[in-house]
Amino acid sequence: MNPIKLALTYLRIGVLNEMQYRVNFFIQLLQSFISVATGLIGLSLVFGQVTTLAGWSRPELLAVMGVHLLMGGVIRSIIQPNMERLMDDVRNGTLDFALTKPADAQTLISVREFRFWQLVDVIVGMVVISIAFFQLKSSLGIFQLLGFLAALLMGGVMLYSVWLMVTSISFWVIRVQDISNLFEGLYAAGRWPIGIYPDWLRTGLTFLVPVAFAVTVPAEALTNRLDGTSLLFAFGMTILFVIFARGLWLLGLSNYSGASS
Amino acid sequence: MKRYIDFYLASMKISILEQIQYSVANYFYMIGMITEPVIYLVVWTTIAKQQGGSAGGYTVGAFAAYYIIWTLVRNMNIVFTPYGWEWRIREGRLSMELMRPIHPIHGDVAFFAGWKFVVILLWLPLAAILSWIFRPTFDIRWMEVIVFALAIWGAYLIRTMLLSLLGMITFWTTRVSAIFELYFGLELILSGRLVPMTIMPAWVQSLSNYLPFKWTFFFPIEVLVGNMTDAQLWSGICMQALWVGSGILILNLIWGFAIKQYSAVGG
Amino acid sequence: MTPAISVSKLSKHYKVPEREGGMKAAVASLFNRKYRTVKAVDDISFSIEPGEIVGFLGPNGAGKTTTLKVLSGLLHPTEGMVNVIGYEPTKRSHDYLRQVALVMGNRNQLSWDLPAIDSFELQRAIYSIPASEFKKTRDDFIDLLELKDLVNKPIRNLSLGERMKMEIVGALLHRPKVLFLDEPTIGLDVTMQRRIRAFIKEYNQRWGATVLLTSHYMADVEALCKRVIVIHHGQTLFDGELSRLVTQFSSFKTLGVTLPNPEADLSQYGEVLTRDGARVTLRVAKSKTSQVTANLLSDLQVDDLTVEDTPIDDVIDSVFTSTEEAK
Repeated sequence: MNPIKLALTYLRIGVLNEMQYRVNFFIQLLQSFISVATGLIGLSLVFGQVTTLAGWSRPELLAVMGVHLLMGGVIRSIIQPNMERLMDDVRNGTLDFALTKPADAQTLISVREFRFWQLVDVIVGMVVISIAFFQLKSSLGIFQLLGFLAALLMGGVMLYSVWLMVTSISFWVIRVQDISNLFEGLYAAGRWPIGIYPDWLRTGLTFLVPVAFAVTVPAEALTNRLDGTSLLFAFGMTILFVIFARGLWLLGLSNYSGASS
Repeated sequence: MKRYIDFYLASMKISILEQIQYSVANYFYMIGMITEPVIYLVVWTTIAKQQGGSAGGYTVGAFAAYYIIWTLVRNMNIVFTPYGWEWRIREGRLSMELMRPIHPIHGDVAFFAGWKFVVILLWLPLAAILSWIFRPTFDIRWMEVIVFALAIWGAYLIRTMLLSLLGMITFWTTRVSAIFELYFGLELILSGRLVPMTIMPAWVQSLSNYLPFKWTFFFPIEVLVGNMTDAQLWSGICMQALWVGSGILILNLIWGFAIKQYSAVGG
Repeated sequence: MTPAISVSKLSKHYKVPEREGGMKAAVASLFNRKYRTVKAVDDISFSIEPGEIVGFLGPNGAGKTTTLKVLSGLLHPTEGMVNVIGYEPTKRSHDYLRQVALVMGNRNQLSWDLPAIDSFELQRAIYSIPASEFKKTRDDFIDLLELKDLVNKPIRNLSLGERMKMEIVGALLHRPKVLFLDEPTIGLDVTMQRRIRAFIKEYNQRWGATVLLTSHYMADVEALCKRVIVIHHGQTLFDGELSRLVTQFSSFKTLGVTLPNPEADLSQYGEVLTRDGARVTLRVAKSKTSQVTANLLSDLQVDDLTVEDTPIDDVIDSVFTSTEEAK
């Protein structure tokens, strides 16, 4: 089956499912507003003290916040639910159902779940970015926009790959549920530009959990800080992450023995 | 009274024995939680350095001290959450707890109190590593240590009261996650969890004086990190006691209604 | 003698919000909810003497668990009076709670990760059981249920049946005078069910405790209860001796006939239930039993003939289906 068609089918089912719980839309909206509000309060506290933080102005940091929110919405609507379901399936030995379907297993396990209402964060994130842009009083060039979108896409793919790698470990080590917690904690670091962190943490946030590529790099693209070389570097990293993730997934799968284990 | 002491000791022993079995999982959890204060610390260290070494009256070393003590206080602040209340009602566990001749909240307080001893033990090496990385500066008197040892338990009790009250909303409705998130948002701003209260605008600070939140975060941390006089230290403990006392009163009141509701609609 | 449990005209009604689909209805229901009343228990009365073991029967949703919960003090009666060993359960006084126990077969109280012996210590503290009495009771129970080798193992390493035994020990350490058992043997294998039954009987005899028990397994009821209360749709259908339930509700007997000629057609004598080689079982109206027996013996060559009451399970089934049809 065509992977895109497959994904769209699951997407439709997910949306139909979630449309039954429309109250969740308002709950999600309220929660997004709470997180925007606390984020704004944090920013105003910082800029009550200084005018720039590590070279980033207030509207620029607002843009970072927007990107962080947007990407967080993507993680919570697509990546995390699918990976958590995979962990459950491996633990309970119920992955067989997915493996026996006539489609690429990795594609299948990556598109089965879809939390539609979490996309509210994506919309709110875009609104925040637009406001930031308005405050910056700069116009968005076509290359800038393309660079931003490319960086965003690559960042998303990298985060997905890391999640898949960590989840693949559950084929060997069954108890990985706490990973979600740890990942959420680390992702929170992306609310600020990665440059402010000490070297060791920055390295971790770049290569281990690529929060740098997922949030800071797209934000850099938006605020005219990104050159072609970094984008090319990000592209290379994306390829590497995808290959590693695929490899680890296949290795884990060959280790999977089903419910009988 | 003797019977309660007996119950608390037995209950704490059980939870210590249980949690020791889960030291590794506990550690993972604690490490996951450390990213939050580290992010705050890095941001405020950056600001302090940009301003020549201090921001809002805190030096780089004082910020490090604040957020390292923060990690212990945060762990003391982990109590039975509103989501836990939702679960215990849904799963019918509350019914079994109500069959015992002891208030379920006594059970919660005792269980988590036992857990805290394990947590404090596990925290010590983490604090050592954080101190080695971030170089905090402390100026501690022995009186501060005594008051701190009391204040973290005061914080624990106050937060238990607050979250139990919040959790009891689930007796009436199950769609409460938005209310809980709103609470956590308020707490973040008004407790000193995000930044030391003295960095907040004056009106926020005076608002926080009339609310219980700052006694669960800012006060215990400031006992060790700040420079309070003995009188200030002890009046802080009194304030905590006052909040615990009013918490117990309100809790008892609401509990009466909650149980009425519970025994009307099923368990 | 004053009864241990007395229930008079007990009713428990729930108001259940009516839900309609769609956003508009969901928002509207926030302000103006429509309710419908469900009568879980509707005007039942009974009383139980101290030391009695009474089986509480009825299909799912008949109101058994609701009644047990009212007696335990977890639910407020909508109407009626309930008195258990001199207490009003709803007040949930600690003195009352110290003298009763509610055991539910699918709920666990003991710590999953610790040996039961540690959790028992917590039960001691909860119920303020004096140390010497506690030790004696605990060791007695451990002996009776043969748990000696298991009390030091974490609960998570025990089988379902072993776990249930531990739960029962934990629940009875304070030697309650009144026991409410809700499906205590659910999901257990036959041997384990038998053990737990024997223990409940022993406990009842040794301490003179009053027991009210619900179970899906008729074997539990037959082994333990002289008296049963049958409820259906929240109302009492029958209250009396188990043997009388059979005579009252079963209008049939089962005849077992062994014939040298397995081909013989017996359908003129009664409804053929089973046919296993030469052995045939027939269902015959009670009033006609002697007549049919006589006819069989005179018409055919019969090697063996037995007359039995209908099995209790079938009686109960027919009780519920007949009232269902009557509605």
